[in-house]
Amino acid sequence: MTAPLLETRNLTRRFGGLVAVNGVSLSVSAGEIVGLIGPNGAGKTTFFNLLVGLFPPSSGEVLFEGARISGRRPHVIARAGLTKTFQNVALFMESSVLDNVVTGALLHSDLGAARAQARATLERVGLAAVAEVRAGELSFPERARVEVARALCTRPKLLLLDEVMAALTPPEMEEIIALVRSLRDEEGIGFIVVEHHMKAVMKLCERIVVLNFGEMIGDGRPEAIANDDRVIEAYLGGGFRRPDRAGGSDDADGAGGAKGARA
Amino acid sequence: MARRGTLAAYGGLAILFALLPLVLDPRGYEMRVLCLVLLFAALGQAWNLVGGLANQISLGHAAYFGIGAYASTILQQVAGLSPWIGTLAGMALAALLALLLSVPTFRLKGHYFALATLAAGEAMRVIANSWSDLTGGPVGISVPFNPGSSVWMMQFQTVRPNYYIFLVTLILVTALFWRIKTGAMGYRLRAIKENEQAAEVIGVDTYRVKLVASLLSAAITAFLGTLYAQFQFFFDPDTIFGLAAFSVKMALVAILGGVGTVAGPLIGAAFIIPMEELANSYFGNSAAGLSQFAYGIVLVAVILVNPYGIVALFARLRGGRRRDRASRGGEARP
Repeated sequence: MTAPLLETRNLTRRFGGLVAVNGVSLSVSAGEIVGLIGPNGAGKTTFFNLLVGLFPPSSGEVLFEGARISGRRPHVIARAGLTKTFQNVALFMESSVLDNVVTGALLHSDLGAARAQARATLERVGLAAVAEVRAGELSFPERARVEVARALCTRPKLLLLDEVMAALTPPEMEEIIALVRSLRDEEGIGFIVVEHHMKAVMKLCERIVVLNFGEMIGDGRPEAIANDDRVIEAYLGGGFRRPDRAGGSDDADGAGGAKGARA
Repeated sequence: MARRGTLAAYGGLAILFALLPLVLDPRGYEMRVLCLVLLFAALGQAWNLVGGLANQISLGHAAYFGIGAYASTILQQVAGLSPWIGTLAGMALAALLALLLSVPTFRLKGHYFALATLAAGEAMRVIANSWSDLTGGPVGISVPFNPGSSVWMMQFQTVRPNYYIFLVTLILVTALFWRIKTGAMGYRLRAIKENEQAAEVIGVDTYRVKLVASLLSAAITAFLGTLYAQFQFFFDPDTIFGLAAFSVKMALVAILGGVGTVAGPLIGAAFIIPMEELANSYFGNSAAGLSQFAYGIVLVAVILVNPYGIVALFARLRGGRRRDRASRGGEARP
């Protein structure tokens, strides 16, 4: 058995008295699509920020392809093949959509190749028509897609998607789900997906991890998670009867979640 | 298409400035003012590398400028070294200072970065004033006089050769700025300017990119310091490391013209330097300080009317699909 693509060991992050992420041990294999769910403030965004190196863990460690990456700077981790999109969207708003994506592609290519790669990626995520538009002029769902395109251009092995489906219509969600699937099937990219829309998560992911108050309280197949008493109690609040929560703002996602993702 | 037109415009401008001295008195006042315009355009361009592209607003660039001026002048005094050689020492020292300053300042942004760099410039002024053995102290320092004209010693009978040195330097610095702005490094610097965290997460080594830009900017500024010393022949710590005389003015030239644009510093210098001279000649005799006051008022007025620089104003007037909001930041590409 080969080493997992990503492994966290007892990963913990404190902000003053608040334990935003508490002893999370998780491993993700190459090409897996994992859903990460939990109520607002559960520590999901903080967990992502720890993985990509936006801040160091208070204790515990992160291994990527068997090598320890916790404590490294984010650009080093991106080069290794792990990056994320930002929940509240952190595009280069004054630059064109194309330039945003080119900047990601420059990680592994010179400018000419980066431009070609960026155009191809925009085509793939359905943004070719707005390539020359300033990112700040796009709608929120479009911006989220630019985030995905920019991250994809860094050629990740594992991509963390932080609520890219928030505010999408059901058909747009279907498009994203199809896109993520095809990226996994054709390029072997793994995903961890934070999403509030339960139906979408259940449909997209083969495995779901549940955080509550920074602790991992569930890890399993979607149907198992949907029937897990602890999860239902903590997250769904009694009975899996209200699956359609519109993607909330999740600002309270750990003090550092907000801080980490600030523009 | 637009790019070719722009290139032609810059070419025409360069030819115009190359021919201008032929119709002016080589020892005249106009030549001196034009030299200062070229110098400050180049300074603004060097400042623009970091201040414009990465939005790291430095108010301490006089530190590098003064180091360049002192290094070449002192080496001329003690060793008879050509300023062309001496300036290399100045450039290296300025880059070293930029490297040292980067350690405490790279996490700083906005006002905090500006204040830290301002303090660095002031510290250099204090050092130059008190280290009299090396710098001659507050009384200032003179470039040793070599009679006759000599390219090697960068000393001439008139300022016409100085003018051409300034002009060629400005063209080179502008070309370098354009290369960087449109190249991979330009993308990375703009990414840092717009969202440093996002830039890191998608693989930009933000410290390294900022450092490279700062080293280049510092070294070029030091070289310009040497050119200034050879043009002025005399300077003192309070001028050369001066906040108003250089640190703020080179930032202002870029900001007023259009931060982060190729044309910005050129336009800014062509506006600010003559205006300052005009204010001096109108009010200089009647009331001390009034000229600076008038100059300040005009600057405030221009910035109030047009906070994103003259280049952005032109872009806005030209209209097109660019909207008002689009004229902030890194667009308005010449």
